[in-house]
Amino acid sequence: MSKTVAIIGYAALPCGKWQTPAEAEIATLEHEVLARLVIEATADAGIEKRDISSLCLTLPREYTRQKYFGTFMASYLKLACTGSVSEALGNGMTGGLAFENACNDILLGRSKVALAMGINFESQAKAADLMMSSMRAVGDVDFQAPFGISPIAWGAMDAMRYMHETGATREQIASVAVKNRAHAALNPLAQFRTPLTLAEVLNKPPIVSPLGLFEVPPRSDGAVCLVLAEEDVARGLGKPYVRIRSRAFYHEGVHQVSDEPNDMIALNALEIAGSSAYEQAGIGPGDIDFGELYAAVTIMEILASEALRLIPRGQGAVWAAQGRTSLGGTIPLATSGGLLSRGHPPYITPLYSFVEAVDQLRGTAGARQVASAELGLTAAELGNYNAALVHILEGIH
Amino acid sequence: MLKTIMRDYAHPYPPRISDFTKTFWHALDDGRFITTRGARSGGLTFPPKPFSPHEWGEPIEWTELSGQGKLYSWTTMYAVPAAFQREAPYRVCVVDLDEGIRVVTRLLSDGAAPLDSPIELVVIRYTDCTSFAARLLSGAET
Repeated sequence: MSKTVAIIGYAALPCGKWQTPAEAEIATLEHEVLARLVIEATADAGIEKRDISSLCLTLPREYTRQKYFGTFMASYLKLACTGSVSEALGNGMTGGLAFENACNDILLGRSKVALAMGINFESQAKAADLMMSSMRAVGDVDFQAPFGISPIAWGAMDAMRYMHETGATREQIASVAVKNRAHAALNPLAQFRTPLTLAEVLNKPPIVSPLGLFEVPPRSDGAVCLVLAEEDVARGLGKPYVRIRSRAFYHEGVHQVSDEPNDMIALNALEIAGSSAYEQAGIGPGDIDFGELYAAVTIMEILASEALRLIPRGQGAVWAAQGRTSLGGTIPLATSGGLLSRGHPPYITPLYSFVEAVDQLRGTAGARQVASAELGLTAAELGNYNAALVHILEGIH
Repeated sequence: MLKTIMRDYAHPYPPRISDFTKTFWHALDDGRFITTRGARSGGLTFPPKPFSPHEWGEPIEWTELSGQGKLYSWTTMYAVPAAFQREAPYRVCVVDLDEGIRVVTRLLSDGAAPLDSPIELVVIRYTDCTSFAARLLSGAET
Protein backbone atom coordinates (compact mmCIF):
# COMPACT_ATOMS: atom_id res chain seq x y z
CA MET A 1 0.00 0.00 0.00
CA SER A 2 1.27 3.41 -0.88
CA LYS A 3 -0.83 5.26 1.68
CA THR A 4 0.48 6.03 5.13
CA VAL A 5 -1.47 7.16 8.15
CA ALA A 6 -0.61 10.05 10.45
CA ILE A 7 -1.93 11.27 13.79
CA ILE A 8 -2.50 14.98 13.39
CA GLY A 9 -4.21 16.01 16.61
CA TYR A 10 -5.94 14.97 19.80
CA ALA A 11 -7.86 16.10 22.83
CA ALA A 12 -8.10 14.13 26.06
CA LEU A 13 -9.81 14.35 29.41
CA PRO A 14 -7.45 13.98 32.37
CA CYS A 15 -7.95 10.50 33.84
CA GLY A 16 -9.86 10.60 37.09
CA LYS A 17 -13.27 10.21 38.62
CA TRP A 18 -15.75 12.00 36.39
CA GLN A 19 -18.78 9.73 36.43
CA THR A 20 -21.59 11.06 38.60
CA PRO A 21 -23.73 8.84 40.86
CA ALA A 22 -27.02 7.68 39.37
CA GLU A 23 -28.92 9.79 41.89
CA ALA A 24 -26.88 12.98 41.28
CA GLU A 25 -28.97 16.09 40.72
CA ILE A 26 -26.58 17.22 37.99
CA ALA A 27 -25.11 14.42 35.90
CA THR A 28 -21.98 14.39 33.77
CA LEU A 29 -23.08 13.07 30.39
CA GLU A 30 -20.67 11.04 28.30
CA HIS A 31 -21.72 12.43 24.94
CA GLU A 32 -21.31 16.03 26.11
CA VAL A 33 -17.79 15.29 27.31
CA LEU A 34 -16.78 13.46 24.16
CA ALA A 35 -18.31 16.04 21.82
CA ARG A 36 -16.25 18.77 23.48
CA LEU A 37 -13.10 16.69 22.87
CA VAL A 38 -14.05 16.18 19.22
CA ILE A 39 -14.29 19.96 18.74
CA GLU A 40 -10.97 20.49 20.56
CA ALA A 41 -9.17 17.71 18.70
CA THR A 42 -10.39 18.98 15.35
CA ALA A 43 -9.07 22.45 16.20
CA ASP A 44 -5.78 20.97 17.40
CA ALA A 45 -5.41 19.12 14.09
CA GLY A 46 -6.31 22.19 12.07
CA ILE A 47 -8.98 20.48 10.00
CA GLU A 48 -12.67 21.17 9.40
CA LYS A 49 -15.72 19.13 10.28
CA ARG A 50 -16.34 18.44 6.57
CA ASP A 51 -12.93 16.72 6.27
CA ILE A 52 -13.96 13.91 8.63
CA SER A 53 -15.65 10.84 7.20
CA SER A 54 -15.11 8.06 9.76
CA LEU A 55 -16.09 7.88 13.42
CA CYS A 56 -14.30 4.93 15.04
CA LEU A 57 -15.36 4.59 18.64
CA THR A 58 -14.72 2.24 21.49
CA LEU A 59 -17.78 0.58 22.98
CA PRO A 60 -18.72 2.45 26.16
CA ARG A 61 -18.85 0.48 29.39
CA GLU A 62 -22.15 -1.09 30.46
CA TYR A 63 -22.56 1.80 32.94
CA THR A 64 -23.15 4.31 30.14
CA ARG A 65 -26.89 4.77 29.71
CA GLN A 66 -26.85 5.81 26.05
CA LYS A 67 -26.59 2.81 23.77
CA TYR A 68 -25.64 2.68 20.07
CA PHE A 69 -23.28 5.34 21.25
CA GLY A 70 -21.38 5.62 17.94
CA THR A 71 -24.34 6.42 15.75
CA PHE A 72 -25.73 8.58 18.54
CA MET A 73 -22.50 10.61 18.47
CA ALA A 74 -22.69 10.95 14.67
CA SER A 75 -26.14 12.40 15.18
CA TYR A 76 -25.18 14.57 18.17
CA LEU A 77 -22.29 16.01 16.10
CA LYS A 78 -24.46 16.16 12.96
CA LEU A 79 -21.65 14.44 11.10
CA ALA A 80 -22.43 12.44 7.96
CA CYS A 81 -19.75 9.78 7.22
CA THR A 82 -18.83 7.99 4.01
CA GLY A 83 -16.18 5.78 5.67
CA SER A 84 -17.72 4.12 8.69
CA VAL A 85 -19.29 4.66 12.08
CA SER A 86 -18.55 1.89 14.56
CA GLU A 87 -17.92 0.87 18.14
CA ALA A 88 -15.09 -1.61 18.70
CA LEU A 89 -14.70 -4.08 21.55
CA GLY A 90 -11.70 -6.23 22.32
CA ASN A 91 -11.04 -6.35 26.05
CA GLY A 92 -8.07 -4.20 27.00
CA MET A 93 -7.24 -3.80 23.34
CA THR A 94 -10.52 -1.99 22.64
CA GLY A 95 -8.95 1.44 22.19
CA GLY A 96 -6.35 -0.07 19.91
CA LEU A 97 -9.05 -1.63 17.74
CA ALA A 98 -10.87 1.71 17.40
CA PHE A 99 -7.53 3.15 16.30
CA GLU A 100 -7.17 0.28 13.82
CA ASN A 101 -10.61 0.95 12.36
CA ALA A 102 -9.66 4.56 11.74
CA CYS A 103 -6.33 3.55 10.14
CA ASN A 104 -8.03 0.96 7.97
CA ASP A 105 -10.58 3.39 6.59
CA ILE A 106 -7.72 5.67 5.58
CA LEU A 107 -5.62 2.86 4.11
CA LEU A 108 -8.63 1.57 2.15
CA GLY A 109 -9.22 5.03 0.74
CA ARG A 110 -12.62 5.35 2.39
CA SER A 111 -11.62 8.39 4.43
CA LYS A 112 -8.98 11.08 4.32
CA VAL A 113 -9.57 11.96 7.96
CA ALA A 114 -10.92 9.62 10.62
CA LEU A 115 -11.56 10.06 14.33
CA ALA A 116 -10.49 7.32 16.76
CA MET A 117 -12.18 8.06 20.03
CA GLY A 118 -13.93 6.77 23.08
CA ILE A 119 -15.17 7.43 26.54
CA ASN A 120 -14.92 5.02 29.46
CA PHE A 121 -16.92 5.94 32.56
CA GLU A 122 -17.10 3.34 35.32
CA SER A 123 -15.83 4.83 38.56
CA GLN A 124 -19.23 4.75 40.30
CA ALA A 125 -19.38 0.95 40.07
CA LYS A 126 -18.26 -0.83 43.24
CA ALA A 127 -15.00 -2.77 42.86
CA ALA A 128 -16.44 -6.11 44.00
CA ASP A 129 -19.36 -5.74 41.57
CA LEU A 130 -17.06 -4.69 38.74
CA MET A 131 -15.00 -7.81 39.46
CA MET A 132 -18.11 -9.97 39.02
CA SER A 133 -18.11 -8.75 35.44
CA SER A 134 -14.36 -8.82 34.87
CA MET A 135 -13.96 -12.39 36.18
CA ARG A 136 -16.31 -13.46 33.39
CA ALA A 137 -13.97 -11.77 30.93
CA VAL A 138 -10.66 -13.28 31.96
CA GLY A 139 -11.34 -16.97 31.91
CA ASP A 140 -13.71 -19.73 30.95
CA VAL A 141 -16.92 -18.92 32.87
CA ASP A 142 -17.55 -22.57 33.69
CA PHE A 143 -14.03 -23.88 34.22
CA GLN A 144 -12.07 -20.87 35.57
CA ALA A 145 -14.38 -18.09 36.79
CA PRO A 146 -15.96 -20.43 39.39
CA PHE A 147 -12.63 -20.31 41.25
CA GLY A 148 -13.17 -16.59 41.78
CA ILE A 149 -10.30 -15.35 39.65
CA SER A 150 -9.80 -11.67 38.73
CA PRO A 151 -7.84 -9.98 35.92
CA ILE A 152 -5.04 -8.82 38.20
CA ALA A 153 -4.68 -12.29 39.73
CA TRP A 154 -3.09 -13.30 36.44
CA GLY A 155 -0.55 -10.52 36.81
CA ALA A 156 0.16 -11.62 40.37
CA MET A 157 0.83 -15.17 39.21
CA ASP A 158 3.11 -13.79 36.51
CA ALA A 159 4.99 -11.89 39.23
CA MET A 160 5.38 -15.02 41.36
CA ARG A 161 6.75 -16.95 38.42
CA TYR A 162 9.07 -14.13 37.36
CA MET A 163 10.57 -13.83 40.84
CA HIS A 164 10.97 -17.59 40.98
CA GLU A 165 12.75 -17.79 37.64
CA THR A 166 14.87 -14.64 37.65
CA GLY A 167 15.52 -13.98 41.33
CA ALA A 168 14.02 -10.50 40.92
CA THR A 169 12.92 -9.03 44.22
CA ARG A 170 9.61 -7.69 45.39
CA GLU A 171 11.28 -4.27 45.82
CA GLN A 172 12.63 -4.20 42.28
CA ILE A 173 9.20 -4.96 40.84
CA ALA A 174 7.55 -2.36 43.09
CA SER A 175 10.01 0.27 41.84
CA VAL A 176 8.01 0.38 38.60
CA ALA A 177 5.15 2.01 40.55
CA VAL A 178 7.50 4.62 42.04
CA LYS A 179 8.98 5.41 38.65
CA ASN A 180 5.59 5.70 36.95
CA ARG A 181 4.30 8.01 39.67
CA ALA A 182 7.32 10.27 39.17
CA HIS A 183 6.45 10.46 35.48
CA ALA A 184 2.77 11.12 36.23
CA ALA A 185 3.76 14.04 38.44
CA LEU A 186 4.80 15.73 35.19
CA ASN A 187 1.66 14.83 33.22
CA PRO A 188 -1.41 17.09 33.42
CA LEU A 189 -3.56 14.18 32.13
CA ALA A 190 -2.52 11.91 35.01
CA GLN A 191 -4.90 10.84 37.74
CA PHE A 192 -2.28 10.48 40.49
CA ARG A 193 0.51 13.05 40.58
CA THR A 194 1.86 12.98 44.13
CA PRO A 195 5.28 11.31 44.18
CA LEU A 196 5.58 7.98 45.99
CA THR A 197 8.44 6.34 47.85
CA LEU A 198 9.29 2.68 47.54
CA ALA A 199 8.37 2.20 51.21
CA GLU A 200 4.91 3.64 50.56
CA VAL A 201 4.37 1.16 47.74
CA LEU A 202 5.62 -1.79 49.77
CA ASN A 203 3.60 -0.88 52.85
CA LYS A 204 0.24 -0.80 51.13
CA PRO A 205 -2.13 -3.70 51.87
CA PRO A 206 -1.81 -6.67 49.54
CA ILE A 207 -4.46 -6.96 46.84
CA VAL A 208 -3.21 -10.02 44.97
CA SER A 209 0.03 -11.17 46.55
CA PRO A 210 2.77 -10.16 46.03
CA LEU A 211 1.17 -7.03 44.54
CA GLY A 212 -0.19 -4.28 46.78
CA LEU A 213 -2.63 -1.45 46.24
CA PHE A 214 -0.19 0.82 44.39
CA GLU A 215 0.89 -1.97 42.03
CA VAL A 216 -2.56 -2.66 40.65
CA PRO A 217 -4.61 -0.30 38.49
CA PRO A 218 -6.75 2.47 39.93
CA ARG A 219 -10.37 2.99 38.93
CA SER A 220 -10.49 5.64 36.26
CA ASP A 221 -12.84 7.47 33.96
CA GLY A 222 -11.45 9.02 30.80
CA ALA A 223 -12.13 10.16 27.26
CA VAL A 224 -9.91 10.68 24.22
CA CYS A 225 -10.35 11.85 20.64
CA LEU A 226 -7.50 11.31 18.16
CA VAL A 227 -7.53 12.73 14.65
CA LEU A 228 -5.97 10.45 12.03
CA ALA A 229 -5.36 11.38 8.43
CA GLU A 230 -3.73 10.18 5.28
CA GLU A 231 -0.18 11.48 5.38
CA ASP A 232 -0.85 13.78 2.38
CA VAL A 233 -3.33 15.67 4.53
CA ALA A 234 -0.87 15.83 7.41
CA ARG A 235 1.87 17.25 5.18
CA GLY A 236 -0.45 19.97 3.94
CA LEU A 237 -1.07 21.23 7.47
CA GLY A 238 2.48 22.51 7.80
CA LYS A 239 3.15 21.45 11.38
CA PRO A 240 4.62 18.47 13.22
CA TYR A 241 2.66 15.22 13.07
CA VAL A 242 3.15 11.57 13.90
CA ARG A 243 3.57 8.98 11.17
CA ILE A 244 2.58 5.37 11.80
CA ARG A 245 5.69 3.53 10.72
CA SER A 246 4.44 0.01 11.31
CA ARG A 247 1.75 -2.02 12.95
CA ALA A 248 1.57 -5.67 13.93
CA PHE A 249 -0.98 -7.89 15.61
CA TYR A 250 -0.81 -11.41 16.94
CA HIS A 251 -3.31 -13.52 18.84
CA GLU A 252 -1.89 -16.82 20.01
CA GLY A 253 -5.25 -18.60 19.92
CA VAL A 254 -5.40 -18.68 23.70
CA HIS A 255 -7.81 -17.00 26.10
CA GLN A 256 -5.87 -15.98 29.23
CA VAL A 257 -3.96 -19.19 29.87
CA SER A 258 -2.82 -21.91 27.50
CA ASP A 259 -3.83 -25.45 28.41
CA GLU A 260 -0.45 -26.51 27.04
CA PRO A 261 2.22 -25.87 29.69
CA ASN A 262 4.26 -23.03 28.20
CA ASP A 263 6.35 -20.15 29.42
CA MET A 264 3.48 -17.99 30.69
CA ILE A 265 5.68 -14.97 31.31
CA ALA A 266 7.37 -14.90 27.90
CA LEU A 267 4.30 -13.08 26.46
CA ASN A 268 5.02 -14.73 23.15
CA ALA A 269 2.19 -12.94 21.31
CA LEU A 270 3.88 -9.66 22.13
CA GLU A 271 7.27 -10.99 21.14
CA ILE A 272 5.89 -12.05 17.75
CA ALA A 273 3.95 -8.83 17.13
CA GLY A 274 6.90 -6.72 18.29
CA SER A 275 9.37 -8.52 16.02
CA SER A 276 7.04 -8.03 13.07
CA ALA A 277 6.61 -4.32 13.85
CA TYR A 278 10.38 -3.81 14.05
CA GLU A 279 10.93 -5.68 10.81
CA GLN A 280 8.25 -3.74 8.93
CA ALA A 281 9.69 -0.45 10.20
CA GLY A 282 13.20 -1.58 9.29
CA ILE A 283 14.50 -0.88 12.77
CA GLY A 284 15.48 -2.75 15.92
CA PRO A 285 14.49 -2.39 19.56
CA GLY A 286 17.57 -0.26 20.16
CA ASP A 287 16.19 2.44 17.87
CA ILE A 288 13.11 3.02 20.02
CA ASP A 289 13.29 6.18 22.15
CA PHE A 290 10.36 5.46 24.49
CA GLY A 291 7.59 2.93 25.07
CA GLU A 292 3.97 3.25 26.19
CA LEU A 293 2.99 -0.30 27.05
CA TYR A 294 -0.30 -1.67 28.27
CA ALA A 295 0.66 -2.74 31.78
CA ALA A 296 -2.11 -2.80 34.35
CA VAL A 297 0.23 -4.13 37.05
CA THR A 298 3.89 -3.42 37.78
CA ILE A 299 5.14 -6.79 36.65
CA MET A 300 3.46 -6.50 33.26
CA GLU A 301 5.59 -3.51 32.27
CA ILE A 302 8.67 -5.60 33.06
CA LEU A 303 7.49 -8.65 31.12
CA ALA A 304 6.28 -6.59 28.16
CA SER A 305 9.50 -4.62 27.84
CA GLU A 306 11.44 -7.89 27.87
CA ALA A 307 9.17 -9.52 25.28
CA LEU A 308 9.70 -6.49 23.05
CA ARG A 309 13.48 -6.84 23.56
CA LEU A 310 13.70 -3.30 24.85
CA ILE A 311 15.39 -4.88 27.89
CA PRO A 312 17.30 -8.18 28.08
CA ARG A 313 15.23 -11.11 29.37
CA GLY A 314 15.27 -11.30 33.13
CA GLN A 315 16.64 -7.79 33.57
CA GLY A 316 13.41 -5.77 33.51
CA ALA A 317 13.00 -5.48 37.27
CA VAL A 318 16.67 -4.64 37.75
CA TRP A 319 16.52 -1.95 35.09
CA ALA A 320 13.43 -0.39 36.67
CA ALA A 321 15.11 -0.32 40.07
CA GLN A 322 18.24 1.21 38.56
CA GLY A 323 16.25 3.98 36.89
CA ARG A 324 17.09 2.80 33.41
CA THR A 325 13.40 2.91 32.41
CA SER A 326 12.89 6.38 33.91
CA LEU A 327 12.94 9.65 31.99
CA GLY A 328 16.57 10.25 31.09
CA GLY A 329 17.31 6.53 31.34
CA THR A 330 18.26 3.98 28.68
CA ILE A 331 14.68 3.36 27.53
CA PRO A 332 12.02 5.49 29.23
CA LEU A 333 8.80 3.51 29.74
CA ALA A 334 5.38 4.93 30.64
CA THR A 335 6.44 8.57 30.53
CA SER A 336 2.72 9.32 30.88
CA GLY A 337 2.68 7.62 34.26
CA GLY A 338 1.24 4.48 32.73
CA LEU A 339 -1.89 2.67 33.75
CA LEU A 340 -0.92 2.79 37.41
CA SER A 341 -0.63 6.57 37.76
CA ARG A 342 -1.80 8.23 34.56
CA GLY A 343 -4.92 6.11 35.01
CA HIS A 344 -6.65 3.12 33.47
CA PRO A 345 -10.09 3.58 31.91
CA PRO A 346 -9.70 0.12 30.33
CA TYR A 347 -11.55 0.44 27.04
CA ILE A 348 -9.68 3.59 26.07
CA THR A 349 -6.33 3.05 27.77
CA PRO A 350 -4.59 2.32 24.43
CA LEU A 351 -5.88 5.69 23.11
CA TYR A 352 -4.08 7.40 26.01
CA SER A 353 -0.90 5.59 24.95
CA PHE A 354 -1.18 7.23 21.52
CA VAL A 355 -1.80 10.59 23.19
CA GLU A 356 1.47 10.29 25.09
CA ALA A 357 3.28 9.19 21.95
CA VAL A 358 1.95 12.23 20.09
CA ASP A 359 3.12 14.58 22.85
CA GLN A 360 6.58 13.00 22.87
CA LEU A 361 6.96 12.91 19.07
CA ARG A 362 5.63 16.41 18.47
CA GLY A 363 7.96 17.65 21.19
CA THR A 364 5.12 18.97 23.33
CA ALA A 365 5.57 16.74 26.39
CA GLY A 366 6.89 19.60 28.51
CA ALA A 367 8.78 18.54 31.63
CA ARG A 368 8.48 14.86 30.71
CA GLN A 369 9.85 15.29 27.21
CA VAL A 370 12.21 12.51 26.12
CA ALA A 371 15.15 14.36 24.61
CA SER A 372 15.07 14.33 20.79
CA ALA A 373 12.47 11.55 20.67
CA GLU A 374 12.02 10.32 17.11
CA LEU A 375 10.60 6.81 17.42
CA GLY A 376 8.09 5.55 19.96
CA LEU A 377 6.42 2.18 20.49
CA THR A 378 2.93 1.50 21.81
CA ALA A 379 1.57 -1.91 22.77
CA ALA A 380 -2.00 -2.86 23.55
CA GLU A 381 -3.04 -6.30 24.68
CA LEU A 382 -5.78 -8.57 25.82
CA GLY A 383 -5.81 -11.43 28.25
CA ASN A 384 -2.43 -12.14 29.75
CA TYR A 385 -0.91 -10.58 26.61
CA ASN A 386 -2.46 -13.49 24.69
CA ALA A 387 -2.92 -10.95 21.94
CA ALA A 388 -0.79 -7.93 21.24
CA LEU A 389 -1.16 -4.90 18.98
CA VAL A 390 2.08 -3.01 18.44
CA HIS A 391 2.58 0.31 16.70
CA ILE A 392 5.85 2.03 15.92
CA LEU A 393 5.39 5.77 15.55
CA GLU A 394 7.67 8.42 14.14
CA GLY A 395 7.70 12.16 14.71
CA ILE A 396 7.76 14.26 11.53
CA HIS A 397 8.88 17.85 11.94
CA MET B 1 -9.37 -41.70 42.97
CA LEU B 2 -9.04 -38.08 44.02
CA LYS B 3 -9.67 -37.32 47.66
CA THR B 4 -12.82 -35.39 48.47
CA ILE B 5 -13.24 -32.32 50.67
CA MET B 6 -16.70 -31.31 51.82
CA ARG B 7 -18.07 -27.77 52.01
CA ASP B 8 -21.22 -27.00 53.99
CA TYR B 9 -22.36 -24.23 51.67
CA ALA B 10 -23.39 -23.78 48.07
CA HIS B 11 -20.88 -22.88 45.38
CA PRO B 12 -20.66 -19.06 45.13
CA TYR B 13 -20.67 -19.14 41.32
CA PRO B 14 -21.41 -22.66 40.11
CA PRO B 15 -20.44 -23.76 36.62
CA ARG B 16 -23.13 -24.50 34.05
CA ILE B 17 -23.24 -28.10 32.90
CA SER B 18 -23.98 -29.03 29.31
CA ASP B 19 -25.02 -32.31 27.81
CA PHE B 20 -21.39 -32.68 26.78
CA THR B 21 -19.56 -31.43 29.91
CA LYS B 22 -21.76 -33.49 32.25
CA THR B 23 -19.46 -36.41 31.49
CA PHE B 24 -16.60 -34.48 33.12
CA TRP B 25 -18.62 -33.37 36.13
CA HIS B 26 -20.12 -36.82 36.73
CA ALA B 27 -16.64 -38.36 36.63
CA LEU B 28 -15.47 -35.74 39.10
CA ASP B 29 -18.37 -36.75 41.36
CA ASP B 30 -16.83 -40.22 41.29
CA GLY B 31 -13.35 -38.89 42.11
CA ARG B 32 -11.96 -39.11 38.59
CA PHE B 33 -10.45 -36.17 36.69
CA ILE B 34 -11.01 -36.76 32.98
CA THR B 35 -10.68 -34.75 29.82
CA THR B 36 -10.73 -35.24 26.05
CA ARG B 37 -8.01 -35.90 23.53
CA GLY B 38 -7.79 -36.31 19.80
CA ALA B 39 -8.02 -39.97 18.86
CA ARG B 40 -5.43 -39.55 16.07
CA SER B 41 -3.19 -36.74 17.32
CA GLY B 42 -3.40 -37.74 20.97
CA GLY B 43 -3.51 -34.03 21.77
CA LEU B 44 -5.10 -33.31 25.12
CA THR B 45 -7.29 -30.33 25.81
CA PHE B 46 -8.71 -28.80 28.96
CA PRO B 47 -11.49 -27.93 29.55
CA PRO B 48 -12.79 -30.99 27.66
CA LYS B 49 -14.28 -30.17 24.27
CA PRO B 50 -16.71 -32.01 22.00
CA PHE B 51 -14.17 -31.72 19.17
CA SER B 52 -10.39 -31.71 18.93
CA PRO B 53 -8.85 -28.22 18.75
CA HIS B 54 -5.62 -29.87 17.55
CA GLU B 55 -7.18 -31.38 14.41
CA TRP B 56 -10.73 -30.16 13.98
CA GLY B 57 -11.90 -33.20 12.05
CA GLU B 58 -10.50 -35.98 14.21
CA PRO B 59 -12.63 -38.03 16.59
CA ILE B 60 -12.18 -37.47 20.31
CA GLU B 61 -12.05 -39.75 23.28
CA TRP B 62 -12.19 -39.32 27.04
CA THR B 63 -9.09 -40.05 29.07
CA GLU B 64 -8.46 -40.11 32.80
CA LEU B 65 -5.65 -37.99 34.25
CA SER B 66 -3.66 -38.77 37.36
CA GLY B 67 -4.56 -35.53 39.10
CA GLN B 68 -0.91 -35.10 40.01
CA GLY B 69 1.38 -32.37 38.80
CA LYS B 70 3.40 -29.31 39.72
CA LEU B 71 2.55 -25.87 41.00
CA TYR B 72 3.41 -23.41 38.22
CA SER B 73 2.26 -20.29 40.05
CA TRP B 74 -0.26 -19.00 42.57
CA THR B 75 -1.47 -15.86 44.30
CA THR B 76 -3.51 -14.98 47.33
CA MET B 77 -6.51 -12.86 46.33
CA TYR B 78 -7.53 -10.32 48.96
CA ALA B 79 -9.76 -8.29 46.63
CA VAL B 80 -12.33 -10.69 45.22
CA PRO B 81 -15.51 -10.63 43.15
CA ALA B 82 -18.70 -9.97 45.16
CA ALA B 83 -19.96 -13.57 45.08
CA PHE B 84 -16.75 -14.84 46.70
CA GLN B 85 -16.53 -12.40 49.64
CA ARG B 86 -17.19 -15.07 52.29
CA GLU B 87 -14.23 -17.12 51.09
CA ALA B 88 -11.71 -14.23 50.92
CA PRO B 89 -8.80 -14.24 51.10
CA TYR B 90 -8.14 -17.35 49.04
CA ARG B 91 -5.46 -18.69 46.76
CA VAL B 92 -5.78 -19.42 43.08
CA CYS B 93 -3.14 -21.22 41.07
CA VAL B 94 -1.92 -22.52 37.75
CA VAL B 95 -0.88 -26.17 37.86
CA ASP B 96 0.76 -28.35 35.23
CA LEU B 97 -0.52 -31.91 35.39
CA ASP B 98 1.89 -34.76 34.74
CA GLU B 99 0.16 -35.65 31.47
CA GLY B 100 1.15 -32.23 30.07
CA ILE B 101 -1.98 -30.17 30.55
CA ARG B 102 -2.30 -26.84 32.36
CA VAL B 103 -5.23 -26.16 34.68
CA VAL B 104 -6.38 -23.13 36.68
CA THR B 105 -7.93 -23.80 40.05
CA ARG B 106 -7.93 -22.96 43.77
CA LEU B 107 -4.88 -23.74 45.89
CA LEU B 108 -5.98 -25.03 49.27
CA SER B 109 -2.60 -25.11 50.99
CA ASP B 110 -1.79 -22.33 53.46
CA GLY B 111 1.73 -21.23 54.28
CA ALA B 112 4.78 -21.67 52.11
CA ALA B 113 4.06 -23.02 48.64
CA PRO B 114 7.26 -23.01 46.59
CA LEU B 115 6.71 -23.01 42.86
CA ASP B 116 7.30 -26.31 41.08
CA SER B 117 6.23 -28.21 44.22
CA PRO B 118 4.31 -31.42 43.56
CA ILE B 119 0.53 -31.03 43.92
CA GLU B 120 -2.54 -33.20 43.74
CA LEU B 121 -6.03 -32.33 42.64
CA VAL B 122 -8.86 -32.91 45.08
CA VAL B 123 -12.62 -32.95 44.63
CA ILE B 124 -14.56 -30.20 46.42
CA ARG B 125 -18.13 -31.11 47.16
CA TYR B 126 -20.35 -28.09 47.74
CA THR B 127 -23.94 -28.57 48.86
CA ASP B 128 -25.14 -27.94 45.32
CA CYS B 129 -22.36 -29.07 43.00
CA THR B 130 -18.90 -30.52 42.65
CA SER B 131 -15.70 -28.65 41.88
CA PHE B 132 -12.00 -29.30 42.25
CA ALA B 133 -8.89 -27.69 43.71
CA ALA B 134 -5.17 -28.30 44.09
CA ARG B 135 -3.09 -28.77 47.22
CA LEU B 136 0.53 -29.47 47.91
CA LEU B 137 1.14 -33.21 48.15
CA SER B 138 2.46 -32.70 51.66
CA GLY B 139 -0.18 -30.09 52.46
CA ALA B 140 -2.94 -30.05 55.02
CA GLU B 141 -6.59 -29.80 54.18
CA THR B 142 -8.19 -26.40 54.67
